[in-house]
Amino acid sequence: MIEDPKQGLAMHRWMVLSRALDEACCQESAHWFPSRGEEAVPVGTFYGLRPDDVCAPGDRGSPIVFVMRGVALTQVWPGALGKRTGFGRGRHFSFTAPIELRVLPYIAGDLGPIISQATGTAFAQKYRKSDAVTAVSFGDGTSNRGDFHEAVNLGAAWRLPIVYVIQNNHWAISMPLEKATAAKRLADRAIGYGIPGVAVDGNDVLAVHAAVQEAVRRARAGHGPTLIEAETFRMRGHIAADTASYRSAAQVEEWQGRDPIRRLEERLLAAGVLSAEEAQAVWAEAAQEVGEAKAAAQRHPDILPTDLGLDEIFSTPLGGA
Amino acid sequence: MPARRMTFVEALVEGIREEMRRDPNVFVLGQDIGPFGGSLRSTLGLWEEFGPARIFDTPISESAAAGLCIGAALEGLRPILDISFGEFLPSAMPQLVLHAPVVHWLTLGKARVPLTIRTKVGEGPYGGHPQCFEAWFAHVPGLKVVMPSTPADAKGLMKSAIRDDDPVLFFEHMYLYHGVRDMVPDGEHLVPIGRADVKRPGKDVTVAATAWMVHRALQAAHQFAAEGVEVEVLDLRTLAPLDVAGLLASVRKTGRLVVAHEAWKIGGLGAEVAATVAEQGFGYLKAPVVRVGAPHTPVPAHPTIRRAFLPDAQDVTNAVRAVLKYSA
Ligand SMILES: Cc1ncc(C[n+]2csc(CCOP(=O)(O)OP(=O)(O)O)c2C)c(N)n1
Ligand SMILES: [Mg+2]
Repeated sequence: MIEDPKQGLAMHRWMVLSRALDEACCQESAHWFPSRGEEAVPVGTFYGLRPDDVCAPGDRGSPIVFVMRGVALTQVWPGALGKRTGFGRGRHFSFTAPIELRVLPYIAGDLGPIISQATGTAFAQKYRKSDAVTAVSFGDGTSNRGDFHEAVNLGAAWRLPIVYVIQNNHWAISMPLEKATAAKRLADRAIGYGIPGVAVDGNDVLAVHAAVQEAVRRARAGHGPTLIEAETFRMRGHIAADTASYRSAAQVEEWQGRDPIRRLEERLLAAGVLSAEEAQAVWAEAAQEVGEAKAAAQRHPDILPTDLGLDEIFSTPLGGA
Repeated sequence: MPARRMTFVEALVEGIREEMRRDPNVFVLGQDIGPFGGSLRSTLGLWEEFGPARIFDTPISESAAAGLCIGAALEGLRPILDISFGEFLPSAMPQLVLHAPVVHWLTLGKARVPLTIRTKVGEGPYGGHPQCFEAWFAHVPGLKVVMPSTPADAKGLMKSAIRDDDPVLFFEHMYLYHGVRDMVPDGEHLVPIGRADVKRPGKDVTVAATAWMVHRALQAAHQFAAEGVEVEVLDLRTLAPLDVAGLLASVRKTGRLVVAHEAWKIGGLGAEVAATVAEQGFGYLKAPVVRVGAPHTPVPAHPTIRRAFLPDAQDVTNAVRAVLKYSA
């Protein structure tokens, strides 16, 4: 059964597009963070949010969130290819989206601070008495940082309209989760902050979406944050070049059978919402779209030395506002 | 402009109060800044006027508070973060040095972080939390760092900092807090960020100083006047970006430079000032540049060794004598 076929089809399309984009990015850069197998978390979390809601997606799988927010694929690629037309014009290490779309940039390469920053956009939403909310996602490894503790505690104490989503893919580079914490479930950490903690199957996009939407409703109604742990698995290495020889093939194989896209596809097929031919077309179109967008971006102008922006450090000139 | 006599901290609070009245997007957050009135009365009276809608007591979470400010600023608010003491800045380092300063540049000016971070440093009446870390922050592109020495500058720079669209780190010296009282212009008094100020003109030696060391330099200058030596006291006021033009103009006139700050001498801001003058004003110099700063030990607790540690007016005097020994 699929409760909302339109929604199911849309999320299927986004996940397929996410995978196609990710594969292409892996081919482009050995340093890309592959998101294969984890698509259900970013798609399920950020699908269906309002334009005035703030999205702060974790780095792994974030490009699809930009596209879902309205960034064209042709605008995503220039950043990855080091073109002048990228949003960061070569100043940013990863993809980013325009701030007007209310997607928080990963400002720097250190994990954690964005959790507090997202707590700050939620603060602003409450300060302005709007019913907009913020959703932020980050890895299991990142949830061991002090930033997580301080931010979630503060968001809870002030009942801010925010949803904290842990994309638990069981690994932080070569560090397995069970060696990084004695906690059995990361969602249990919510107890310590006095907020609901929800563990959800992170390879079931409909389940992720339902859990996040429930948390969004709570947040909009003024009941404060929810901590969601979406359990998934990092199917590839930490970066495209990482062969992940530090983990067992059996563990990877076990998760192979739980592929989130295939699982949704089977449900859509069984419910008669999607035909096999249509499914095939979705995959083919995604690959084509990604390829065409990349080819188009390759013709864009390259970054120039003057793009260093020596005079663009400050917004307000010195000598007075 | 009409003016009133007030303490340094009263001037700071007046600047904040006026800006909060002017712009509803300005709010203050920090520890014990509400009904308690702020450590060393840093926010006295703000809670009574603006209440819980604009004044937010935070838990002991400097890093989250700083990150929250960045997020709030990205959504168009203008936070003032009260970090009780400079010693707690390291707890918020990622937000303050890696994140807040780069947003404007990184987003090609589309996003900005109009954030004012105020914090107390230096030797104070109780001797607690004295560490001076301003040089770390002056090192980072994208942060404006200010450190006033007078009540009038404290108010004027605070108002400019709050109106500035970039992150401004505002160092408030604890000895000056209740220790200096002076005339402060009413209302619209803005001191530009990025401009040093000659606090006492002179033609023989420039002493470029910050915060309390400005007052010690003035003390030394007063004594030298009796000997017929004219010491110019240049209050740097903005530490980043430095007012290079103002600095060079003074050294061009005097030909001699002493730099004085309470922070450690090694790797301190004085090193940057001296190097800048060596690079761009070497031809003006009649003597080597001499720095006054703290010796390279952690800050000691007991008053006897604290006194031995802290640079004072005598150190400034000795430095001035040293550069006067050279004749052109
Ligand atoms: C503060 C900080 N420490 C370490 C790193 C290096 N690092 C980059 S990604 C990563 C693993 C993160 O694990 P997790 O949060 O679970 O996210 P995942 O990579 O699994 O998506 C590490 C350790 C970093 N970027 N920032
Ligand atoms: Mg992980």
